Amino acid sequence: MKLVCKIISIIFVLNWALTYVQAQETPQVYKKRVLETSEVDFLTSYYTQDGENAAVSGGIGTEELTDVTGTVVISIPLNDDDVLTIDAGVSAYTSASSSNVNPFDGNAPANAFIASSGASQSDTWVNFTGSYSHSSEDRNNILSAKVSVSSEYDYFSLGFGGSYSKLFNEKNTELSINANVYIDSWNAIYPIELRPFGTNGTGSFRPSEITGNTNYNPTFSEFDSEGRNSYSLGLGFSQILHKNVQGLLSLDVVRQQGLLSTPFQRVYFSDVEDSFVEDFHLADDIERLPNSRFKVALGGRLNWYLNEIITLRTYYRFYFDDWGINSHTASIEIPVKLTDRFTVYPSYRFYNQSAADYFAPYEVHLSTSEFYTSDYDLSEYTANQFGLGATYTDIFTKLHVWEFGLKSIDLKFYNYNRNTAFSSLIITAGFKFVMD
Amino acid sequence: MIKRFLPIFCIAFFVSNCVVVKEYQKVNLNDPDMVLSEKKCDRNVTIAHSYREAAVGANGGKTGGGCGCN
Repeated sequence: MKLVCKIISIIFVLNWALTYVQAQETPQVYKKRVLETSEVDFLTSYYTQDGENAAVSGGIGTEELTDVTGTVVISIPLNDDDVLTIDAGVSAYTSASSSNVNPFDGNAPANAFIASSGASQSDTWVNFTGSYSHSSEDRNNILSAKVSVSSEYDYFSLGFGGSYSKLFNEKNTELSINANVYIDSWNAIYPIELRPFGTNGTGSFRPSEITGNTNYNPTFSEFDSEGRNSYSLGLGFSQILHKNVQGLLSLDVVRQQGLLSTPFQRVYFSDVEDSFVEDFHLADDIERLPNSRFKVALGGRLNWYLNEIITLRTYYRFYFDDWGINSHTASIEIPVKLTDRFTVYPSYRFYNQSAADYFAPYEVHLSTSEFYTSDYDLSEYTANQFGLGATYTDIFTKLHVWEFGLKSIDLKFYNYNRNTAFSSLIITAGFKFVMD
Repeated sequence: MIKRFLPIFCIAFFVSNCVVVKEYQKVNLNDPDMVLSEKKCDRNVTIAHSYREAAVGANGGKTGGGCGCN
């Protein structure tokens, strides 16, 4: 009996030892890191626009604006599954349009078509976004969260967001959901001539200099609340349709509440006599828009790898909101690989929109209306954009800066024209580095 | 609104069960130009559009908040 017990004990011990050794020898399943190494993207752009329908001067006047932006995006793999991304950017602009919040700079007779040298002619926008993503062991579930802060002289924003993506069908199908909340606040700046008629105002503006209707006495009230909240919910569905074709459907629903008017944008009424100082038409009021807006955008992408040289990238979006705007956007980009390092990107984008219910041009609104704006960004128009870009890619990252190898350089140019007097140009550049 | 878009998502969902491309067949789909979102270097272009156009969203860009636009 003792012998049997000893044999059983030995078998147990051997069995345990064998199991332990087998466990130790079981090969580890190879798990690819979500991000192999740290990446740094430097993005920059130069933007310039011009037009003749400035919202600051009630639908007439120069829209000249120049903006330079610099952004750095750093992605750091924290381990096999988690990635931290830091995104920081600065944008500096000079605007002839917004300079006319105060057009009376004394340099020349004030005019809506001439830039002023006032304080509002330039501003700087800064932004910081931090995001964190976690992928499951099988890479079929991805969770992410982000927080963002941005600020400019008259606007501050705090944002939070999260998303969840689920891949299935052997990673041929992906469903995603995302939600974002932005808590924003204005530091409202009003047109110079209306300020004396607001809270604590003196009740008159340069009375001895006014021509036209010399009894300039607008009915003006400042906004009670300067907060703006935005809530968005997005759904995405992407599908591989063929070994060379894949597509995406996405739906975004956005609710905005609070101060949705821009406080320094003037409006002129047809039923109020005109008053001028120098050559500048004094405002009858500022734009007044509802304090809520509901937007829906449904978009689709279809990308087709035609062959080793040409790829088709197509996009379409239908948009509508409860301010009466309907819009269609369609674009196509055709990357053409000239060599294994150089690709060129010709592109075309079409955009049109109907006018908001509250839009009317310069001096068409009636003072009896509840809501009004002469911002041509809310008018009916069609726009065409042509673009051309080039990318240089070096998968071996031979060029080094400190411990980072240059992986790619992107350079793109876009020309945008509306069927109104508005046009713009933008040049963008991106430099991608990866850590050795 | 949900009624409006539900059929599209239902059709898309059923289409998803028609094709399965294996991992080793995805070399062309993994090309950087096949990515189903806007490229990083186009981000500032999308931001410019969000300032100047009423329509936003459904393109991977911003849908509101964070600036005086829209």
